[in-house]
Amino acid sequence: MGKLRRVVLDTLKPHEPSIIEMASELSELEGITAVNISIYEIDRKVENAKITIEGEDISYHHVMEVIEEMGGVIHSVDEVVAGKKIIDDADTLQD
Amino acid sequence: MSSFRDMLRAIRDYDNLTKTSEIARRYFVMNAFDGVLTIIGVLMGNLVAGVDDPQIVISTGMATCIAMGISGLWGAYLTEAAERKRDLDQLSRHTLTDLHDTRIGRAARVATVIVALVDGLSPFLAASVVLLPFFALGSFPAITWVYYTSLGMALLTLFGLGLFLGYISRGNLILYGVKTVVAGAIAIAISFLLGG
Repeated sequence: MGKLRRVVLDTLKPHEPSIIEMASELSELEGITAVNISIYEIDRKVENAKITIEGEDISYHHVMEVIEEMGGVIHSVDEVVAGKKIIDDADTLQD
Repeated sequence: MSSFRDMLRAIRDYDNLTKTSEIARRYFVMNAFDGVLTIIGVLMGNLVAGVDDPQIVISTGMATCIAMGISGLWGAYLTEAAERKRDLDQLSRHTLTDLHDTRIGRAARVATVIVALVDGLSPFLAASVVLLPFFALGSFPAITWVYYTSLGMALLTLFGLGLFLGYISRGNLILYGVKTVVAGAIAIAISFLLGG
């Protein structure tokens, strides 16, 4: 099975634990080299966060476990890159 | 060593999530203050009634301490558990998931227990300290001296609590100490007046 190298997730999480703790904890998972979390919407009790994870061999299951353990919910998987290297989506004529 | 570090980290995480130390600190001062003033009441009641048997003072004092301890423990546990459950249920409705088995849920349960322990132990310990002279009766020439020493310890404990509040607020330590001592002094004075 190919190795996951980049995953972009749309999540909903409580304000606490903060994205600092979440990013730090996700980055400690094996096979992950970098994590980026950005908040794009804040509600009274919760916030929407876009989580971008890159690594050599990302375990989606473990990522999901950490997010859920911290009270977050994955709304959608917005981008996935798997294989020997990271590639971005190619431009097409329609773009 | 690593598990100890993990434990410390978990406690710090739980504290960040629930603000337990802040709440526990507030409960500690409030209930220790309650405990000392209550035991001042017990002491003054015995003193003005002319009780000269230290065993009676110790029995009534300790019974009061235990009752305050259980009251604090029970009351705080039930109140805190109810409040935290309500918060967690509200948050769960926002995320549309059950958060009770997550870190947030566990932190809420740990916070409830810690706050209940602080709430129960603080009046119990503060009041017990005030009663200490009655356990060393032999060192005093007369029972009246024991009463006065105990009341002195009560005021000293109140002063200590005031210092702690002053330290927390980064304000004037002595001023805070005096403010808490005044409450004790008023309780003693009124009891004296009422007891004739």
